[in-house]
Amino acid sequence: MSNSNNPDKGTRNLVIGMVAFIVLVGAVFSFISNKSSSTAKVPAAVSATDGYGIVLNANATPKIDVYVDYQCPICKNFEIINGGYLAEIAASGKAKIVYHPMTFIGAESILAANAAACAADEGKFLDMNIALFQNQSGTENSGLWTGDYMKRLGNSIGLKSAAFEKCVTDGTYVDWTKNVADASAKANVNGTPTVKVNGKDLDRNTEYMDPVKFKAALATGGVK
Amino acid sequence: MLSKFYKVQPWLTLLSRLVLGGVLLAAGALKVGNPQKSAMAVRAYEVLPINIANFLGYVLPWMEVGVGTLLIIGVGVKISAAIGGFTMFVFIIAISQAWARGLSIDCGCFGGGGAVEPGETKYLSEILRDIGLTMLGIYLYRFPKGRFGLDK
Repeated sequence: MSNSNNPDKGTRNLVIGMVAFIVLVGAVFSFISNKSSSTAKVPAAVSATDGYGIVLNANATPKIDVYVDYQCPICKNFEIINGGYLAEIAASGKAKIVYHPMTFIGAESILAANAAACAADEGKFLDMNIALFQNQSGTENSGLWTGDYMKRLGNSIGLKSAAFEKCVTDGTYVDWTKNVADASAKANVNGTPTVKVNGKDLDRNTEYMDPVKFKAALATGGVK
Repeated sequence: MLSKFYKVQPWLTLLSRLVLGGVLLAAGALKVGNPQKSAMAVRAYEVLPINIANFLGYVLPWMEVGVGTLLIIGVGVKISAAIGGFTMFVFIIAISQAWARGLSIDCGCFGGGGAVEPGETKYLSEILRDIGLTMLGIYLYRFPKGRFGLDK
C-alpha cells in the first residue's frame, strides 16, 4: 500500500509522465509526417482534383481509378490479368484512367512510385508501371529496389534522358507520394489493388481477378 | 483454497501484465513506423467516419506502445489494464461486425491490415485471442498489485 514516504512515488510519476510524453510526441509526429503538402512537386500528368493520381486521357469519360502499391503481390497478379486491357483502354482513349501509386508497404514503394512519376513526365508511365510489376521482389523492402535499379529499369524501357535519371536520383516526387497517400486515405481506399469506376468500387469478391468479369464491370460503368 | 490464491495472485498479476503489456507493446511497435498502413487498417473496418478512422490509425499504435510499456514495468497498472482491456473489447466488436457484414479484411492487429482476398480472413482466431486479452485486462483491473511492479 502506498504511503506518503514512499520513495517510489516520484519515480512512478516520472515514468508515467515520460511515457505520456513519448506517446504524445509520437502521435503528433505520425500525424504531421503524413500530411499532404501543397508545395510538393508533382508530375505534369497529375491532377490534384483527381486525388493527385497520374491521369491518362484527361478529357475522356468514364473515369477509372486504379490504386496500387508496386510492392503488393496481388497488384502484380491484377496487372497480369487486367493490365493489358487497361493499356488498351488507355491507348484507344475509351476512358480516363487515373493511377494512384500508393506507398504504405514502405520505402521501396516510395522509390518505385517516384520512378513511375518520373517516367510519366517522359510519356512512359504505363511502360514503367508494367516494368515495376514484372521486376517485383518476392519480399517487401528486400533491398532489391534502389535508385540505381530504377534507373536501369528505366533504361531498359528506353528512358535514357538525363532528366529522367536526375528525377530518380533526386527523388523529385517523393513528397508527392504523401499527397497520393493522403488523398487515397480520404477516398477510403483500404487495400490494393482498388479499382473504382466513376467513383464506385468494383466488387472485391468477384471482379478483380477474373478478366471477363472485370471487362463486364468496366462495360457496365460505360467503357464501350 | 482462497489462501492459496492469495499466494499465487501476485505472480498471476505479473504474468498477466507481461502478456497483455507485451502484446500491446509489440502490436504498437510494429505499427508506429507505418502510420499510412495503420490508418488503412482502421478504415477497412468501415465503422468510423474516414477522418476519425485516419486519426485513430495514427494515434492508436502510440497508445498501445504507451499502455504496453506501463503494464510491463508495472506503473499505473489499474488504469493501464482498464485501457488495454477496453481496447481489446472494442477490437472484438470491430472484428465481429466485419465478420458479420462479410467484409474481407485483416485485423491489422500487428501491422498489416486493410482489405484482403476473401478466404484469407482469420476472424475466429483473432476474436478468441482478443477475448483472452480482455480477460487479462479485467483480472489486472481487479488485482493490479503483483510482483516486480513499480506501483506500491
